Amino acid sequence: MEIAYYPGCTLKSSSNLLEVQSIKVLAELDIQLKELEDWSCCGATSAGKTDDFMSIAMPARNLGIACNSPQSELVIPCSACYSRTLVSQKRLEKDPALKDEINAELDKKVDGDVKVSTILEVLMPKVESGELAEKVKKPLKGLDPACYYGCMLTRFPLDVPVPDNVENPQGMETVLKELGILKPLDWSYKTDCCGASAAMNDQQTAFTLMSRIMRDAVDRGANCFVTTCPMCQMNLDAYQDLFCKQSGICERLPVYFITELVGVAMGMSPQELQIDRHIVDAVSLLKELKLA
Amino acid sequence: MSEPAFVYEPQASRSFAQEVKDRSGQNLFACYQCRRCAAGCPVGDETGVTPDRLIRMILLGERDTALNNNLVWQCVSCYTCGARCPNDIQTARINETLKQMAKEKGKEPLHPKVANFHASFVESAIRWGKVNEFEFMGFYELRNTLDNVKKGDFKDIINEVLSQMKFGLPMLTKKRVHFGFMTSKGRKELKALKKKSKQKAPAKG
Repeated sequence: MEIAYYPGCTLKSSSNLLEVQSIKVLAELDIQLKELEDWSCCGATSAGKTDDFMSIAMPARNLGIACNSPQSELVIPCSACYSRTLVSQKRLEKDPALKDEINAELDKKVDGDVKVSTILEVLMPKVESGELAEKVKKPLKGLDPACYYGCMLTRFPLDVPVPDNVENPQGMETVLKELGILKPLDWSYKTDCCGASAAMNDQQTAFTLMSRIMRDAVDRGANCFVTTCPMCQMNLDAYQDLFCKQSGICERLPVYFITELVGVAMGMSPQELQIDRHIVDAVSLLKELKLA
Repeated sequence: MSEPAFVYEPQASRSFAQEVKDRSGQNLFACYQCRRCAAGCPVGDETGVTPDRLIRMILLGERDTALNNNLVWQCVSCYTCGARCPNDIQTARINETLKQMAKEKGKEPLHPKVANFHASFVESAIRWGKVNEFEFMGFYELRNTLDNVKKGDFKDIINEVLSQMKFGLPMLTKKRVHFGFMTSKGRKELKALKKKSKQKAPAKG
């Protein structure tokens, strides 16, 4: 099966490991990703804060490309890109005048429907059909991840249908159960904000938010985090040592992408999945548990 | 003769609240101050101003305070306030609108780095069609440095360099820094859209 794929800037630069993993893991499940031709930046959360029109128009260009491609589904692994694109799509559905105004400047017009999906939404049918369970070679025994969703998968600036529970999402837990983690950890901060770009421009605020998340995960006995969002992953991974030292937390937890855990369970090596490119050592725990 | 403690001008306050409502798409007149947003706001402790108080300010026509307070600039756009609001008011959207309105009014942002970050990001995206982390961060830090030079705050320039090094060096050793340069032909379309947006925007001042 072929699905259209929007990588976004992050998956081509600092978090390109997420692209490598997504392609490998989904190929194993017989899903081929077809990258949108000449895609452009979605504007991320910055466009919404500086220019309302552009925050809808920038993702619209990519939607236009997707509408004109043969695939009926568009997967966007980055949570920020996913959220901005979905919001743009729903906004244009409700506002035909705005749609015409934007379409007038686009080579490929937004016209017709394309389903915008996260990695979890793409994995879900494979969970239901049992295909994912069939591919599991190494059940993830001993791994106790705190499933961290962050903001962008369940909360949107306008009313859009959310494919999961807003306050207590279960998508990652559902996938983890297939991978042999029968009782995923219950914890309080799964949808709390990591601070996102505040880690760069208002660091103290972001450090406060991240240390709250970290403390709860540690107190509940998690031995790692798992997330889908490259922004959450980068923040909790790259700044972990700094914010933990500041708030007196001794523990350090690897921050896995969900695609990494799926890949490991399928028998792929950490090198193949580029898990050795994390800032907080993420390979030792897998070796300790004889998963690598 | 003593000055009155508070002057209420219904017309002035109505027009500001109405403008915020129209631009953000959020019906803030529906707020009945239940403060569920305040309970969920992750930065409320730090900012002092919680979403409900911001709405109250706008309704009372306190334009200057509403356009420049810590919540407007430190809101992390997590959208928790809106997800929990019984009246579907997305205050994070109101914050985004207020940032834009503050800029149009030529107000100095309370947290200049936040404004610099988002401006640099979007400019970089439109300039090349894709965001190149290195280029965009360069422009962001250039803006911060110029701000600091203007203020004569050289200590903050050094702090900024040290803080970026603490983040950048581990990223470099793990090959998480990308040096290739990405572009999209679509930047022409994005530039045309930006031009259209400028024409639509309310006049400055």
